[in-house]
Amino acid sequence: MRPLTFSRLLLRCGILAAILFAVVIVALKFGAVRVSLYGLGLDLIHVMLRQNSVISSEYGMIVIDIRLPRILLAVVVGASLSVAGTSFQALLRNPLADPYVLGVSSGAALGAILALIAEPHLALSPSFTALLTPLGAFLGAAATITVVYFLGRREGQIDSGTLLLAGIVSASFLSAIIMFLMTTLTGRDFRGMAFWLMGDLSTSLQESVRWVLGAGFIIATGAIYTTASDLNLLLSGEKEAMHLGVDVPRVRLVVYIAASLLTGLAVSVSGAIGYVGLLVPHVMRLIFGSDHRILIPTAAFGGAIAVVLADTLARTVVAPSELPVGAMTALAGAPLFLYLLRRRLA
Amino acid sequence: MNSAAQARTAWHNSTEASRATGEVRLSVEQVSYAYSANPTQAPLFTLEANSFQARPGEIVAILGPNASGKSTLLKLIAGALEPLSGRVLLNGFVTHSLSPRIRAQRIAMVQQESRLLFPSRAWEFVLQGRHAYGRALRFETADDVLIAKNALAQVGAEHLSDRWMDQISGGEKQRVILARALSQQPLLLLLDEPTLHLDIGAQVDLLDALRRLAAENRYTVVVVTHELNLAAEYADQVVLLQRGKSLRVGPPASVYQRELLEQVFQTPLSVELGSSGRPRVSVLPGT
Amino acid sequence: MQQVFTARMLRAACAAANLFFCACLLHAQAPSTVPAVAPAPTFREILDETGRTIRVPQPVHRIVSLAPSLTETIYDLGFQDRLVGDTDYCDFPPEAQKKSKVGGAVNPSLEAIAALHPDLVLVTKSLNRLETVLSLAELGIPSYATDPHTVAEIISSTERLSEVLGAPEVGTTLAKEMQRRLADTQHRVAPLPARRVLFVVWREPLISVGRDTFIADALQHAGAVSIVDSGQSWPQVNLEEVVRQQPEFLIFAQSHSEAAPADVDVLANLPGWRGLEAVRNRRYAVVSDAVNRPAPRIVSAIEDLAKQLHPEAFLEKPETGNDKADKPNSPPADNSPRSISPIASAHLNSIPAEGGACDR
Repeated sequence: MRPLTFSRLLLRCGILAAILFAVVIVALKFGAVRVSLYGLGLDLIHVMLRQNSVISSEYGMIVIDIRLPRILLAVVVGASLSVAGTSFQALLRNPLADPYVLGVSSGAALGAILALIAEPHLALSPSFTALLTPLGAFLGAAATITVVYFLGRREGQIDSGTLLLAGIVSASFLSAIIMFLMTTLTGRDFRGMAFWLMGDLSTSLQESVRWVLGAGFIIATGAIYTTASDLNLLLSGEKEAMHLGVDVPRVRLVVYIAASLLTGLAVSVSGAIGYVGLLVPHVMRLIFGSDHRILIPTAAFGGAIAVVLADTLARTVVAPSELPVGAMTALAGAPLFLYLLRRRLA
Repeated sequence: MNSAAQARTAWHNSTEASRATGEVRLSVEQVSYAYSANPTQAPLFTLEANSFQARPGEIVAILGPNASGKSTLLKLIAGALEPLSGRVLLNGFVTHSLSPRIRAQRIAMVQQESRLLFPSRAWEFVLQGRHAYGRALRFETADDVLIAKNALAQVGAEHLSDRWMDQISGGEKQRVILARALSQQPLLLLLDEPTLHLDIGAQVDLLDALRRLAAENRYTVVVVTHELNLAAEYADQVVLLQRGKSLRVGPPASVYQRELLEQVFQTPLSVELGSSGRPRVSVLPGT
Repeated sequence: MQQVFTARMLRAACAAANLFFCACLLHAQAPSTVPAVAPAPTFREILDETGRTIRVPQPVHRIVSLAPSLTETIYDLGFQDRLVGDTDYCDFPPEAQKKSKVGGAVNPSLEAIAALHPDLVLVTKSLNRLETVLSLAELGIPSYATDPHTVAEIISSTERLSEVLGAPEVGTTLAKEMQRRLADTQHRVAPLPARRVLFVVWREPLISVGRDTFIADALQHAGAVSIVDSGQSWPQVNLEEVVRQQPEFLIFAQSHSEAAPADVDVLANLPGWRGLEAVRNRRYAVVSDAVNRPAPRIVSAIEDLAKQLHPEAFLEKPETGNDKADKPNSPPADNSPRSISPIASAHLNSIPAEGGACDR
């Protein structure tokens, strides 16, 4: 009998953090443009010492201004999607649940398309135009979250089965609208939208968006983590959990809102990167077990590592062209998952 | 802060008092319930006013055919449902108005386990019973581990500690579920049809264990069942239900009257006195 | 003890890693680099064709083009020495393929563009995304956007681009030449009834061009009219409707038309397509991909198409006595459509060798 202790949790998180660190360094080094490790190291030290002006313009702009923000975005998006996926799998008691099953990504995509269609008709300053797509996507996500919540209730509380059905139906309906709207887009918009739908980390974000993303991630993940032991019990069954002392309606509401928020934020800035929210929780579960007190942080790290790696591959495999990140996550994730599954059952 | 501390003191005092003097612990007072699918329609099912009392160390059996309201009554006792009228008192506290956390420290429910989504080990499962005693974000203490081990020992399942829950037999699983309930250190132990999928040997084992635990740990045990003979053998009190109405409450000898049982179970029966001094019911084959 | 020590070490490591990430996050906020020290460049404020005002350093030495049409235009204007990078799809003229590549038009690599240190990036509204333009702006790289919708706008756009790049006279000369050739073609085909055509962008599903595209405009200049009248840019059309309308010609744009005759043979066997007279009689025209790009080469494509659709208007008349042409107003003097001023001649002359009205 070896229950989870804080030091064991910290050890595992520490190992994953070290792996993430290494992966970030690798990602910074590789890209369409060659960067030397030595120059990279110097630049990073200069950044930390706030000596920005000393950075040679050869590497500096590329690494610090383009690659580093993109990699950090990948970290936050990957972590968000994995935590959201873990939460939805627990909330809906369904191992096939992913962050998009409740329609959040479809709502975000619809919001993004509407923003794209409306943009020529609105006379906006350039800085606001840059915000238009993420804002539209987030509003679409928020609207979907609200609608699905109200559809997914029974007797005033969230009911897992009803919620899942409401989400799936909403996703289908929204997808139909999206399909229709996409046929009206011009060629360039169509391709751009297709890239967005597959997941695209290449857009640079404004400062305000970055702060919102970072703060939202920390708050939402923190809220979910406070329900970690409740989620463990929820997986035994909702009635059992209630009899064991879990405030089931409150936990369901907190997890639903926080996980949807994580998904909405991630999708608004990077499109619908697939498979991360579905596979990373399973991989982490196979390695670390189903205790959510360790599963949630390790899933966050795992997702960050996965998306940074996928994005690095997407940037470098056919450089200078880029492949969609979502294709990379699928190509890499599925075989890995199969391998771990066989090991577990063997 | 003050009122919470006061509440805890009051609880402590009343628990100790009832343990010592054998006073009434559980009091079900005129509890009724109605369930309808639609608020505007007539109720699909009604549980009429029910009353009985139970003391520490007692086993109460709620008996009746299917759809007689047994499970509903159990849920009302557990505080999971709010009664339409009447109330359920546990040491003077209304069960429904307790928060889920506090309730879980006093009342433990043993139900048919729903399918486990992700398998866990038996010891993890039993440790879940300690959840109600911790704050959020806490890790189990050495005390918790000790209590869980103890609970497994009390049901004779220590050897199952490291086994996966989806790889043990039905009877073993039932014991682990019971151990989890025990690790909650409750005053009231509720079981909903615990013998449903067990063979006769396992059934007897379980009820023997319940009787022993009730005596040793001074639990009050309420068991929902439709097994006539087991109820007769092990229960101190029987509540006989038919279609939501409580027809009789009392010790087995007074409840097991042939005409009454035949009316409730709609089948010819014969009631005799068993070797243990308890009534025994035999089925008469149809003519 | 050992465990406690390890735990403390780990905590410290995690804290350090967190600090590092936070530092990076904070410093990744704004462009942090100082451009290489140089005498302060002068800037010009320019209004591009989408209405944005951009600041372009003068003179413009290094250009990156994010659209094949703009790459072609650069070569036509003779500024290819200043072109330091283009997209994977910039394949014309062949020398353009040797330039540094920065990726696709819709998803170029920001890193690759930045590494080339361009003074100006050229984009076109119909092909490139606003996000790319905004991302480049955040890095301090200005982008000039063109947005031509008609052939006339292509010409004026080329002229303006030449002016932006600091050599207006080159653009003016090229524009005049293009206008002259268009006028010549117009002169020849105007008296003739316009051919009703279907411009096939994609076969399955059947996609054609809308009326507001420059391709539709080019068709008009070539003496043709598209039977598809749609407000969308790339409308999907119903084959039944096409059969009902019975266009006189089908037009395909291909870079290698050896396949074209075989393609049409295949079509002749397909139900639905068989119903088209144009298919049965093999009345189709093939033009180069130039028709798809809003660049000066479209003029050649227009001429070529006009020749295929109205061969009788283009017969050479070495002596004016040859009266095969029944059009009395064939231009008497300037017979050769090839006489162009030398400056920008080399690339305008790339009439594809393939194609020809197949009036079998």
